[in-house]
Amino acid sequence: MFTEPLLSGITLGGIYALIAMGLTLQYGVARIMNLSYGESLVAACFAALWLFTAVSVNPLIGLLVIVPLAALINWLVYQVLLMPLVKRAPSRDALEVDSILATFGLLFVAQGVMLAIFGGNYFSYSFLAIPVKIFGATVSASRLLALGFAVVIGLALYLGLTRTRAGTAIRAVAVDPVSALLVAIDVRATAAFAYALGGALVAAGGVLVSMFLTFNASLGVVFTMKALIVVIMGGVGNLLGCLIAGMILGLTETFVATYVDPGLTLAATYIIFILVLLLRPQGLFGARRS
Amino acid sequence: MLEISGLSVAYGKHRALDDVKLAVAQREIVVILGANGSGKTSLLKAIAGIVPKSSAKVSLAGRDLQKMRANDIVEAGLALVPEGRGIFGELTVRENLMLGAYAKRARAREQENLDRTLSLFPKLAQRLTQAANTMSGGEQQMVAIGRALMSAPDILLLDEPSLGLAPLVCGELFASLKKVRESGIGILLVEQNAKRSLQIADRGYLIETGRITGEGTALQLRDDPAVQRAYLGVA
Repeated sequence: MFTEPLLSGITLGGIYALIAMGLTLQYGVARIMNLSYGESLVAACFAALWLFTAVSVNPLIGLLVIVPLAALINWLVYQVLLMPLVKRAPSRDALEVDSILATFGLLFVAQGVMLAIFGGNYFSYSFLAIPVKIFGATVSASRLLALGFAVVIGLALYLGLTRTRAGTAIRAVAVDPVSALLVAIDVRATAAFAYALGGALVAAGGVLVSMFLTFNASLGVVFTMKALIVVIMGGVGNLLGCLIAGMILGLTETFVATYVDPGLTLAATYIIFILVLLLRPQGLFGARRS
Repeated sequence: MLEISGLSVAYGKHRALDDVKLAVAQREIVVILGANGSGKTSLLKAIAGIVPKSSAKVSLAGRDLQKMRANDIVEAGLALVPEGRGIFGELTVRENLMLGAYAKRARAREQENLDRTLSLFPKLAQRLTQAANTMSGGEQQMVAIGRALMSAPDILLLDEPSLGLAPLVCGELFASLKKVRESGIGILLVEQNAKRSLQIADRGYLIETGRITGEGTALQLRDDPAVQRAYLGVA
């Protein structure tokens, strides 16, 4: 009985961690506080749904199309909508404020378009809804597969950022963008790349989520908030922090829904969030800003 | 050879630099002496492309740097070690040095430059996996200079490298700059410590309120009564 919510919680937590990693890239490197972040996730859900139901492409193959497309669209959004803000911002803090306003607008545009196309109904599709028994608990195969993919993508991202020169350059821009210029890093191009990479990650998260959750056109903002909570809990720019905080959030939601009341999941989420903000405002693993 | 003429920098209505002309050749150390707020830091930042420069002619080995972006200026062969060092504190020493060689010009001879840097600063070889911000001030300055050397520069700009360092560490630092010069790199040095820097420099310029007010060989400047009064603490 206990292992079932544990497994669901870990799956959900893994996906939250993956989604938060994308947000921490967009915010930490490009310094864009993207309030329309979750819209990429919902768009990816619908894209996976369409591929599966209309042209019977399974969502795991769908990742190969949806993820690069999401990267491209996010890169274009950065170049067209955000680049003018980057160019005129006198400081990174000013860019942060401007980007909140711009992406707040983008949120409603994207949500409006999706509502117009798909309406407000909830959607889901049945992919690999085969029950699998692990440790005496029953979980659907699609959930386990989603978790597996989240782990692989998250690990690849971690290794890419820490073991390659290009990845190290991305982290360098997050640490100190002026010094990054002094070692010949093209900071604007790197920021655009990080923004696109973040969009690709959240789209991957969307495809995986669509395999086992129901979704509708206005769900984006919920995922934006959750990603934000995980990022702040884990410490901005900290991938390991994303993983731990994502797990905490996923497990808490699942256990509260199972043992207390499904209606209280969001409340539980925010209680944890407020506790972290009060006790460790720099996040569980964030370094204190000196 | 770095050649600059007519260089001006303004922050709003405030003119930080006015019609500056100077040159730095390969294999020489040129020091710029001036009081706080005289425009020394602005000068280095303008050359490196961190602050915009107006109506200037800035060229390195005949290439025009005037309109280049800061990252392209590094590719052209000019590296700045900024005031306060500007190292990536949360990254390891190895990562800092690796990023120094991010410039395409530096890739081919990366291993050679790493060996040179580590033989210049042997302490760094033992600290490669340590986060840069956990090191002492002198060691952080070594990381900063090492990172700049990794980009295989023709000209190295240094902004107050001795700031906040103990006298002994400071002496080691200046000795290592002489070795950098021996390797053929030209150094433009901005320093408060006029005595020490005139000991290692070949030439120098005096800067006051954004204008170059004097220049000469290091020997001439050391013997100049005005320089002695203003910068060397001689009554």
